[in-house]
Amino acid sequence: MNRFWKEFAKGIIISNPLFILALGFCPALAVSTSVDNAIGMSVGVLFVLLGSNLIVSAIRKAVPNIVRIPVFIVIIATFVTVVNLIFHAYVPALYESLGIYLPLIVVNCIILGRAEAFASKNPVTSSIADALGVSIGFFLALFIISFLRESLGTGSLSVFGVELFTLPVLGEHPMTIFILPPGAFLVMALLLALFRRIGVMKSE
Amino acid sequence: MKVKTLKGVFPIIFITVIVFAAVGLVSWTDSITRDEIEDQKEQQIQSMLTEMFPSMSKYTFEDDIYIIDADGAKVGYAFLAVGKGYGGDIDILVGLNNEMTIKGVTIVSQTETPGLGSRITDSSFTGKFAGLSIDDVALKRDGGQIDAITGSTISSGAVVDTVRITAIEKIKALTERQ
Repeated sequence: MNRFWKEFAKGIIISNPLFILALGFCPALAVSTSVDNAIGMSVGVLFVLLGSNLIVSAIRKAVPNIVRIPVFIVIIATFVTVVNLIFHAYVPALYESLGIYLPLIVVNCIILGRAEAFASKNPVTSSIADALGVSIGFFLALFIISFLRESLGTGSLSVFGVELFTLPVLGEHPMTIFILPPGAFLVMALLLALFRRIGVMKSE
Repeated sequence: MKVKTLKGVFPIIFITVIVFAAVGLVSWTDSITRDEIEDQKEQQIQSMLTEMFPSMSKYTFEDDIYIIDADGAKVGYAFLAVGKGYGGDIDILVGLNNEMTIKGVTIVSQTETPGLGSRITDSSFTGKFAGLSIDDVALKRDGGQIDAITGSTISSGAVVDTVRITAIEKIKALTERQ
């Protein structure tokens, strides 16, 4: 059980997929325009990562080494398609707003990265812990980015239709650049630099 | 020798089995979600039509045109128009009165720039179409009645042109049918 928590906790902060491992930037830049999208994307990633880590880890001893990457890709693509269909059927609004990025989870390097670097070498329970931890780490990172982008870029913040707050001056004149692609790069760069700085200070 | 051949073939067999399992799982999910997805689309259209024609009691769908019925009397038509925007396709639901003037316009889906072009979905823009005759559905700079949204002339123009061009086509089809 101890091992389980260790694998779980490491994905959240010490090897946070976005800020530390610098994986999965493409979806993070693209869907972090609103907190709703960040939550939806994270749920998608959680489901796909859990499924692929579980299966990859379960069959890890049987997979012939030379076909392991194609096998992992097939498994990941399957889960992505399943998530895509389920979102389309049961949460159409979220499906609409995630658009092309939901099917693109298939090329999200976090998923293949965890399959290759972790699940293919570790037992099922640790792989589940790893999937959960990494997904939560991904969600936290995405949440911070989208929180800043949505509140600066639109001047207010709402989660699933519930208006949380409106900023005094920005509500009237939002800094639209933050919800456009350049804003994603700006926020991401500043956060990466910040986390890097904290990391350096800690190691000193 | 025999053992060696088996070893060489095993990866191929393995990946084939994996692919079959994957196809099985995907088709199974597809079979349980298909009806739901169809329903979802149907419901979306229906709620948009009710919003556009509050008196609607039922509608029939014929040759890509929705014929709107209110307690036995025909109150108008609606159809889907697809146009090229700045960032991809824009799907628009257009409603027509019996007199072939615009009843209403609703953006069904779009991928325009968030915060700029995406403002075509605002009722402050789509509301301007109501009551116009087809010839007036053009941007003001092209001699029409509709103001372009500041900062998104291309998206506004795409919506306006798509509505006008498709409406002309559909009206022609309707008059030929009668």
